[in-house]
Amino acid sequence: MENRNFHQTWFLTRFSLKRDWLKLALWSVTMVVLFAAVAAKFTTIYDTQASIDEIVKTLKSPSMISLFGKLSGSAPYSTADVFAGEMTVFMAMMAAIMNFSIIIKNTRGEEDSGLLEIIQSHSVGKLSNLASSLIELFIINLLIGLFYGIGLQMANLPGTDTNGNFLLGLGLGAAGFMFAAIAAFLAQLVDNSRSATILSYVVFGIMYIARMSTDVSNPKATWLIPFGWVEKFSTYQDNNWLPVFLMLGLSLILVVAALWINNHRDIGSGLVATRPGRSKAYMFLRGPLSLFWRLHRTSIIVWVIGLLILGYTYGSIFNTIGDILKTNPAMESIFGAGAVHKANVLIIKNFISILMIVFGVLALFPGIQIINYLKTGESKGYLELIHSKPVSRNYLFTSVLVLGMTTSIAALFAAIMGLQLGGMSVMKHPVASSVFLNSFYAYISPTVLMLAIAACIIGWIPRLSVFGYLYAGFALFIGYFGKLIDLPKWMAKLTPFGFITKVPVHKMDISTMWWQLGLAVILILIGYIGYHIRDLKSAN
Amino acid sequence: MMQQNNNAILHIDHLQKKFGKFQALKNVTFDVYPGEVFGFIGPNGAGKSTTIRTLLGILRATGGTATLFGKDVYKDSVSIHKRLAYVPGDVYLWPNLTGGEIIDLFLKLGNTKHNSKTDEMIKRFQLDPTKKARTYSKGNRQKVALIAAFSTDADFYIFDEPTSGLDPLNEEVFQKSVLELKKQGKAVLLSSHILSEVEKMCDRIGIIRSGEIVETGSLSDMRHLTRTVIQFQTMQPTPNLQSMKGVYNVTLEANGLTTFSVDSDKLSTTMDYLSDKQIVSLQSTPPTLEDLFMRYYSSDEGR
Repeated sequence: MENRNFHQTWFLTRFSLKRDWLKLALWSVTMVVLFAAVAAKFTTIYDTQASIDEIVKTLKSPSMISLFGKLSGSAPYSTADVFAGEMTVFMAMMAAIMNFSIIIKNTRGEEDSGLLEIIQSHSVGKLSNLASSLIELFIINLLIGLFYGIGLQMANLPGTDTNGNFLLGLGLGAAGFMFAAIAAFLAQLVDNSRSATILSYVVFGIMYIARMSTDVSNPKATWLIPFGWVEKFSTYQDNNWLPVFLMLGLSLILVVAALWINNHRDIGSGLVATRPGRSKAYMFLRGPLSLFWRLHRTSIIVWVIGLLILGYTYGSIFNTIGDILKTNPAMESIFGAGAVHKANVLIIKNFISILMIVFGVLALFPGIQIINYLKTGESKGYLELIHSKPVSRNYLFTSVLVLGMTTSIAALFAAIMGLQLGGMSVMKHPVASSVFLNSFYAYISPTVLMLAIAACIIGWIPRLSVFGYLYAGFALFIGYFGKLIDLPKWMAKLTPFGFITKVPVHKMDISTMWWQLGLAVILILIGYIGYHIRDLKSAN
Repeated sequence: MMQQNNNAILHIDHLQKKFGKFQALKNVTFDVYPGEVFGFIGPNGAGKSTTIRTLLGILRATGGTATLFGKDVYKDSVSIHKRLAYVPGDVYLWPNLTGGEIIDLFLKLGNTKHNSKTDEMIKRFQLDPTKKARTYSKGNRQKVALIAAFSTDADFYIFDEPTSGLDPLNEEVFQKSVLELKKQGKAVLLSSHILSEVEKMCDRIGIIRSGEIVETGSLSDMRHLTRTVIQFQTMQPTPNLQSMKGVYNVTLEANGLTTFSVDSDKLSTTMDYLSDKQIVSLQSTPPTLEDLFMRYYSSDEGR
C-alpha cells in the first residue's frame, strides 16, 4: 500500500527513457563532446606557464569574473585550473537549459496535452509520472557527470587529479539535477507549461545576476545562491565536495515539495488558479498582430526587463573593471589623469564588445520564439481558425516578423540602456552615451539577419524551426568562448555576429550593415514565398 | 434538385491531394448549392478533413479544381474567406484568452463585430464567455467556434464534425441554427458521423471513401441503392428465393420466419414471387442511412 502513489514508476521511467532517447542522446553527446573537446584543446593552448599566467590575469579581472565566475585558489595555476575556471559556470548554464526543457515537457507539457490523463487512467500511481521524470533526469545527469569525469581523465590536462575530475563532472551533473528539481517544483505552482518555463527562467535569471554581483563584490555571499555553488567546488585546488551535497540536498527538498504539491492538487491545475477574465475582447485585440502581441506579452515583458536588469548589473561593475589604477598605481603620475581615464574607458569598451554578443544573442530568443509561433501555433491547431478567416498568409507572416524583430531590437536596446544606466550609477565620469548607441546600431544588422534566417526556415521547412535557437546558441558559444579557447578565426565568421568588428572599440562598419540587411531582406522574401506556397499543418 | 451547375456556390472537380507518396484525395467531385445542407460523410481517414482544409486554402491541391463563389480556393482564399465561416472538428483555443475574447477576435478577423446575434448565440448555447479557454471542455471549445460562426453573416458555412463534443440539448440548438441558415438561403457543408443528424438535416449527401467520392445524391435517391430487409412467413416453401437476383442473406429463423435482404430495384419481382406462395406475415424494414453507411464503409462490400 505504501507505493500506491508510485505504482508503475519504474515502468514509466523506462518508457520515458525509450521515448526521449534521441533527445537525451543529442543533449548528452553535445554536452560531453563540447566539454571533452574544450579540455583536449586546452592542453595545446595553455601549455606553458607564461600562457597560463596570461589567461589567469584576464580571468581575474572583474569583467571576466562576471562572465565566468570567480577563479578559485591561488598561484601557481595549472592548465586544469584555467579549464575549471572557464567552463564550470558555462556548463552549468547549459545544464539548466537542458533540464528545464526536458522536465517541463515531461510533466506540465504532458498534462497540458492531455496525455497524462490517459496514462493516469491506467493502473498508475498519482505521483508516478513526476517521480519517473525526475528519475529519468537523475539517471541522465549522473551519466553525463560520469562521462565528464571520464572525459577529463582521458584529456589528461596538466594539473588534474582523479578526485577533481570526478568532482567537476559529477558536480555539474548534480547541478543539472538541481535545475531539474527547481523546474519540477516551479511547474507545480502554475497551471501550464509556458508559465512554468517562464517562471523557471526568471528564477534562473535572478540566480545568475545574484551570482554575478556577489562574485564581483563579495565572493563569500555566492554561497547563498544555489547556482553559485558550482563555483565553490574549488576543483583541483581544495576539491570541495560540500557544494555537491548541498545541491543534492536542495534537490531532495524540492523533489519532496514538488511531490507533495502534486499529490495535493488536481490534474491540470496549479497552486495559482486560473481566474475568469473578460467576457468581451478589448478594442485593441482585433487582428493577428495584436493577437500575437497578446499571446507573447508576458514573455516579451519578461525578456525586455530581464535584459535591462542584466545590462544594469553588468554596467554597475564598470567602476571595478575600468579601474586601471588598482593594478598600476604609478600610471597616473606617469601619464596623467586624462590618459588614465582614456585607458579605463578602453577597458570598459573591450568589455562592452564581449557583452554585446551576449546581449545580441539573448535578445534573439524572444524574437525567434515569436517567428516560430507560425509553426508552434500551427501544429497545436491554434491557427486553424485564423487560416479560415480573410487573413492572408502574407499578413500573418508579416505580423510575426514585425513583432519578432521589434521585440528582439527592443530587448537589445533594453540591455544596452541597462548597461549605460548601471555604468552611470557607479562612475564619476560615465562613458559617453554615443558609445552605447553605436554598439546598439552595429548589432541591429546581425540581429535582423539571424531573425531573417529563422523566418526563411519557417517559410519552407517548419519542422526544422529549432535550428534558429541552435544557431543562436552556437553564436553565443563562439562569442563567449571563441577567444579563450582559441578557436580558428573562420569559426567566428559562421554567424553574422562574427562580422561585427569589435564595436564599440572600433567603429561600426557601414558596409557590413548594408550587406547583412540586404541578405536579410532576400531571405525574408524567400521565406514569404515558401510560406505562401506550402501546406499549413494542422493539429491532427 | 433542379439547380444547374453554374449557380453552385461550391464546385469541386476531380480534386486531388498528395502528401509525399500518399494519395489522400484521389478524386473528389461534388457541388453545393445555395439554400442546401450538404452532408459529407465517410469513415475515419477517408479524406473529409483533407478536403475541407483544401477548400480553406490551408492545403494546396495537387490536381483538379475547387472553386467557392466562382473563385479559386487557394489563390483567392482571402476574398473567399470574407463570405465563409468554419468550425473545425477539433477546436484548439489559446488557453490564456477567454471564450468571449476569442469569439470577438474571430468576428473582427471576419470584418464584423460583436452583435446582437452573438449575444443570442451565447445565450442559446449557454456558454460562460468569461472563462479562460484552458478551463473549457471539448464541447465548450466547440461552442466558442460555433457561436463565432453562427454570428458571422457568411454565405457558405463549413462544419467539420461540429457536434462531437456537444450534449443532446446543444446538438438540438446546433440543428436549429443550421436550419435557420438554410432558410436564409445559405449553403452549408456538414461533415458528420452522427447519422441521425445527417438524416434529419441534409438535403443531399456525398459519401467519401479512401479519397474518392463514391456516391452523391439525396437520401431518397440513395435509398434505391440499398437493400430492404424483409421478414416473412408463407404457406408454401420458397426454394428459389436463395438463387434470385438481388437477394442476399436468406436465413430461416427459429420461430419459422425467414429473413433476407433485397436490392431496392429487385423488390417488386421478389414480392411477386412471395405472394405466389401465399404470404402469412410480412414485415419490411426500409434501408436506413446506417445501412447505407455500412455498405460503403466496410471495404469488402464496397460497390
